[in-house]
Amino acid sequence: MEEHPLTLDEVKSMAAEIGMTRLTNEHLQQLLRATQVARARRAALPVANLGPADEPAHVFRLDGESSR
Amino acid sequence: MTDLAWLTVAEAAGLLRAKKLSPVEYAKALIDRIERHDGKLNAFLRFTPDLALADALRAEVEILRGAWRGPFHGVPYGLKDIVDYAGLPTTAHSKILRENVAATDAAVTQKLRAAGGVFMGKLSTHEFAIGGPSFDLPWPPARNPWNRDHFCGGSSSGSGAATAAGFLPAAIGTDTGGSVRNPASMCGVAGIKPTYGLVSRRGVLPLAFSLDHVGALTRTVEDNALMLELIAGHDPLDPGSSAHAMGSCTAQLDRGVKGLRIGVIRHFYTRDMKADPEMTAGIEAALRKLADLGAEVREIETAPLSEWVACNRTILTSEAFAVHEKWMRERPEDYGALARERLMAGAFVRAADYVNATRLRRTMTDRFHALFSGIDVAVTASSMDAACRIDDPKAIEFTYARQARAPFNVTGSPALSVPVGFSKAGLPLAMQIVGKPFSEALIYRVAHAYEQATQWVKRRPPVE
Repeated sequence: MEEHPLTLDEVKSMAAEIGMTRLTNEHLQQLLRATQVARARRAALPVANLGPADEPAHVFRLDGESSR
Repeated sequence: MTDLAWLTVAEAAGLLRAKKLSPVEYAKALIDRIERHDGKLNAFLRFTPDLALADALRAEVEILRGAWRGPFHGVPYGLKDIVDYAGLPTTAHSKILRENVAATDAAVTQKLRAAGGVFMGKLSTHEFAIGGPSFDLPWPPARNPWNRDHFCGGSSSGSGAATAAGFLPAAIGTDTGGSVRNPASMCGVAGIKPTYGLVSRRGVLPLAFSLDHVGALTRTVEDNALMLELIAGHDPLDPGSSAHAMGSCTAQLDRGVKGLRIGVIRHFYTRDMKADPEMTAGIEAALRKLADLGAEVREIETAPLSEWVACNRTILTSEAFAVHEKWMRERPEDYGALARERLMAGAFVRAADYVNATRLRRTMTDRFHALFSGIDVAVTASSMDAACRIDDPKAIEFTYARQARAPFNVTGSPALSVPVGFSKAGLPLAMQIVGKPFSEALIYRVAHAYEQATQWVKRRPPVE
């Protein structure tokens, strides 16, 4: 699914939602670029190769001591 | 007496143990060298000659008494400034942690101090081990001893510069996406990212918990093996620490490569990314040398580099942002521009994408480790290019991503960067030797055989 390109206003609003309200315009430009880079990386993840039962690399596990 | 600046750990240990070299004399020689030349290189963020002399004096008294503790007794070392040393600030090269004084030693610091090492100071890093080289921080970035107009790699930049410049025979670095191996490659020294969990991360400021590794930078492979033998070991206080015992890294060093099977991941640097021709030529010449020494060299294939990098960076930025979110809310202006932008990439990664990256991590890692049923070690590029100019932000940004190190943070495999020559401009070239988990001894054996068969380790940068 192709995502629409983010705007500066949208990224400002997203930042505010997670409490990042002190960002200057320069910071917001950086956040916009960084988010675009992150989205491009997501597109490069070969998730189509995953089966439904493929587990994450780090799963919750208790050792014998803790599980008693 | 040999120029003390260029003593290896092994050579120094022999002289110190035999009482032919005084730890105080050794420390003073390096202190003098650092005072004369580090103003040009900025390898040290916090130089601590008083602590060094106190450590050296203690070592001298003990060795004269016959209580030699081992190869690091009386030997100078430095710590990347994200590693705690009790009583000193751990700044991560950032304004944000300028006053962050460590209450206790990191696990690796404890080991080096217990071994009688001589602590020379805290070494420059990229801000929070991710944002550099930067000129908008409280301290300047480290520069490359081979040409100080050039980048020295990072994020363990001071660790690479200090060992290459003859300021220290050994230094501690950390590696989350390549940060030990990058400065090792660019400064022409040996740098290991050990198996995940082999060296404790306790007391080391995290960048990304599941990808962070503590490693060693030294001028020779033997010294690297000695340092890893010292710092490795299970730590119940590090939840990622492995209980697997590594065994000796030095016992097999001289066994050569005859009969060993080396798999070349050539597609990383010829197809997925096209390395600079000088880098490719250096790696291919090294492979021919290993074949001449009796190794069986053949090509292997793994997932494309872009998939490994996407996996690494999705996990890295997500975990890093979790660490930095509070400061991003409260003090965004106190970051340097590079660290801020690179860390912000984790702000809006969806939970499903992070989980999927970790699911891919498992499948990609399993497939990668399966390759080792047919090979003993793998060889590939570390950086695609020699070090670019430090004052060229476009070149820094371009070359920063041109690397094949991140795959082995994803797999947790041990990976060592070693020099394979120099570019026409006199800058170091390097390759990576990678193994299956806990096969560091075998990696060192291959690297040592190559190092002994070449002369690269004997070259000195023009620091004076």
